[in-house]
Amino acid sequence: MEPLVSFEGVIKRYGDFVAVKKMDFTIRKGEFLAIMGSSGCGKTTTLRMLAGLDAPTEGVIRLSGQPIDHLPTWARDTPMVWQSLALFPFLNVRENVEFALKMRGMGRAARRQKAEHWLDRMQILEFADRNIAQLSGGQRQRVALARSLVVEPQILLLDEPLSALDAALKVRMQSVLKTLQRETGITFVYVTHSQSEAFSMADRVVIMSRGQIEQIGTPQEIYGTPRTRFVADFLGSSNIFTGTVRHSSAQGVEVETPDGPVTLTGGAFAAPPKAGETATLTVLDTKTQLGLVPPGGANAIRVRVIGEEFVGATATIYLETAQGREIRVQKSHDELAGLPLGIGQELFAHWSPTDSHLVAEA
Amino acid sequence: MRRMPSLYGLTFSLPLLAWQLLFFVFPLVFLVALSFWTVKNFTMQPGFDPVNWVTMFARPVFWQAYGTTLALATMAALVTSALALPCAYAVAFKLSPKGQRWAIFLMVIPFFTSYLVRVYSWQIFLSDAGIINVLLGRLGLGPFHLLNTVFATLVGYLTLCLPLVVLLQLFSLIFIDRTLIEAAHNLRCGRLRTVFEVVIPAGRVGLVIAALFAFILSFGDFVSPIYLGGGDPTTLSILITDTTKSGQQWPRAAVIALTMIATLMVVAFAAIRFAYKGRAK
Amino acid sequence: MSANPANRSRLVDLGLRAYVVLAFAFVFAPIAASFVFSFNSDRFPSIPLGQMSLQWYQAVASDPLVWEGLRNTLGIGVIVGLVSTALGFGAAYTDFRFKFFGKQVYMALALLPPTIPVVIMGLAMLAYLSRIDLSGNALSVIIAHVVICAPFAMAIVRLRLSQMDADLEAAAWNLGASEWKAMAHVIVPFTLPAILGALFITMAVSFDEFAIAWFVSGLNETLPVKVLGFLQGQVSPRINAIGTFVFVLSMGLVIGAQVLLSQKSKE
Repeated sequence: MEPLVSFEGVIKRYGDFVAVKKMDFTIRKGEFLAIMGSSGCGKTTTLRMLAGLDAPTEGVIRLSGQPIDHLPTWARDTPMVWQSLALFPFLNVRENVEFALKMRGMGRAARRQKAEHWLDRMQILEFADRNIAQLSGGQRQRVALARSLVVEPQILLLDEPLSALDAALKVRMQSVLKTLQRETGITFVYVTHSQSEAFSMADRVVIMSRGQIEQIGTPQEIYGTPRTRFVADFLGSSNIFTGTVRHSSAQGVEVETPDGPVTLTGGAFAAPPKAGETATLTVLDTKTQLGLVPPGGANAIRVRVIGEEFVGATATIYLETAQGREIRVQKSHDELAGLPLGIGQELFAHWSPTDSHLVAEA
Repeated sequence: MRRMPSLYGLTFSLPLLAWQLLFFVFPLVFLVALSFWTVKNFTMQPGFDPVNWVTMFARPVFWQAYGTTLALATMAALVTSALALPCAYAVAFKLSPKGQRWAIFLMVIPFFTSYLVRVYSWQIFLSDAGIINVLLGRLGLGPFHLLNTVFATLVGYLTLCLPLVVLLQLFSLIFIDRTLIEAAHNLRCGRLRTVFEVVIPAGRVGLVIAALFAFILSFGDFVSPIYLGGGDPTTLSILITDTTKSGQQWPRAAVIALTMIATLMVVAFAAIRFAYKGRAK
Repeated sequence: MSANPANRSRLVDLGLRAYVVLAFAFVFAPIAASFVFSFNSDRFPSIPLGQMSLQWYQAVASDPLVWEGLRNTLGIGVIVGLVSTALGFGAAYTDFRFKFFGKQVYMALALLPPTIPVVIMGLAMLAYLSRIDLSGNALSVIIAHVVICAPFAMAIVRLRLSQMDADLEAAAWNLGASEWKAMAHVIVPFTLPAILGALFITMAVSFDEFAIAWFVSGLNETLPVKVLGFLQGQVSPRINAIGTFVFVLSMGLVIGAQVLLSQKSKE
């Protein structure tokens, strides 16, 4: 796929504070890209630089191959949907949607027709003459989308647009957004701190931390094989073990951790760590098994139940190793049937050596 | 937020800057220069002669006026604050939001009436055969000599300052967290004690600023001391108008004006220091 | 609110309410008296009231100097309103939008003038303007009034801007509006109620200002300066007639502004 946007060595500083550290990545044409991270990680700054609201201190941003840094935001076609929505309160719905067309000097009739097309598409045509204050949260969301999409841009920027909605509406708008993106083929760049939003909508996810990209990949890739310890921690769905490498070969690695030896095999790692080095490996909590007796082979750790949590069809069991480390196991109720889970119950947590992954420590 | 001045930005920023430099800063600076000029044969001569300062500061009448003005303005600030506080307190804590809106609306109205007309109206109330003495006479009291007294001057200052002071106090009290007061009651702090231990300290900045405004307004007002106070004892503002209007002695008037500004700056600085004392900025 | 009634004392509440009424009575007594006595025939007004009469209005209406003063006042007020609202709007927008070195000094210049006593402003203006040959006419009053009115306009517009979603202007740029277009299509429409409010209020301030005008106006007296003249000369109930007239005019402006504003904000 050809790149629509490329960030080349982009750095953003505010005085001494570095908001974005040397960023290199591309956004593909027609993809739904989510940029995810906790607040202050630089995700919104990245989006604002792309929109032309902030200027990079160093580096180049290209749109369709052309550098755009010299263009003010009003000369770029990079409309944004704002966290606050930023709808014009003194204009009605129709006038809000027509705004961008009016700024581009489009005639009244053409403007109206185009605005109505998008109002209809967003299923809010009946509210065209209402004031913004008379709309519900979900309707405002749709106005904001229509207002940005009316210029039929190549790319749409979204800055946590769903954060003000309640949980049920959020889920509904996620499917609206996903469908809209698929049908229009417009590239969506979606900034969020919510893992569920990013993973449920995006084709690819960028995970940022402290101004840097930690990992870029499909949701499956990131979920299954977090690249760094930060990503594994941030997603919160893996058990993480750190220790000293005892044996290492192309076939597998054995690491001595305070909780005992753990091994992995068959993992795709470019350069196996050397014996004596520190290494961190992760295993998903859904791939971690529980049993009353240790199975044969490696990767069995003696644990004690310290709590359990039921959400719908799945249960999360919280366990503690002899060293006091917490381990989580996520299973369906059926899988747990017959296992004693009272607080203090001794069990063994174990997993297949092929289910664990080596991650970078950074 | 761009740092570079653009034509766009300057279009909005510059006009006010230019206007206030040209017609606010320059006149005040010119006042300083003027205070060193001399007057010969009713015409002013540019120069650098401290004679006006020496003459004015050597005159007992100047220092008398200074003392009078300072005392009157201080009294006005204290009396206005004290009289306004129960009113602002009642509006802030005892009235419904609708009542509060009405109270604010009513307190704003005086700003759109002529101060001169109100002062004249007080003459009707306070004169020897005025409304108050007629009413008192029916009770077998009086007549009292009310007009052309310090009391009348204070009534004038109160007319000038009370609405503003009530509003400023109100805005500082209305935003006090109600739970502070409930917490105080909950900790067995009585009603009146809560006012002094919680409400006044919590609203201190606003209350001090309100008093400061009353001081500034009274300090510079010449209408009440002349038309209600009878011009005797004289104040600095009366001195300025007399010196400017009849005496042609603008340089000497400038000396008085600059002394007033210096005094106001000291008072304002002290008041603000006091207002924020012990508070992290 | 359903606070525990045991925490309140009815007597104290009643006393405080009575006090509020008393305070308002003090504030409105001179305004009401001026209104009542403007229709009273007595030369030295007091109670009991004399005859109901319009003689003071007639006296005022037949005084050509009063008419001239009114014309001056209105003309000056309108120009002062327009100029100081424009300057104040620019300063409010500057504060809202830009960060720059020396901004505190800028803001001090934008807000300080009303805190300088009017006699001092009057003297400084008179001395300075006569030095640059601008004193003694309507223009000098306009110049001086804009100095003290612009800060009010600035404060009113700034308050409105602080109610604006901080992203609104950037959203307009992002949708293709240049800075100038965003100003015309977003900032001005949003602040329009405040702009109108500032216009009316600065006009009202100018209508009532007498001290600086008295110093600098020379022979082009405004109406308030005329009133000061009446006050200095023979005590005259004509002041009441003028005062009532100006009060009705000012309140008309203020209430008009209020009605306009509340309609705008309901939209």
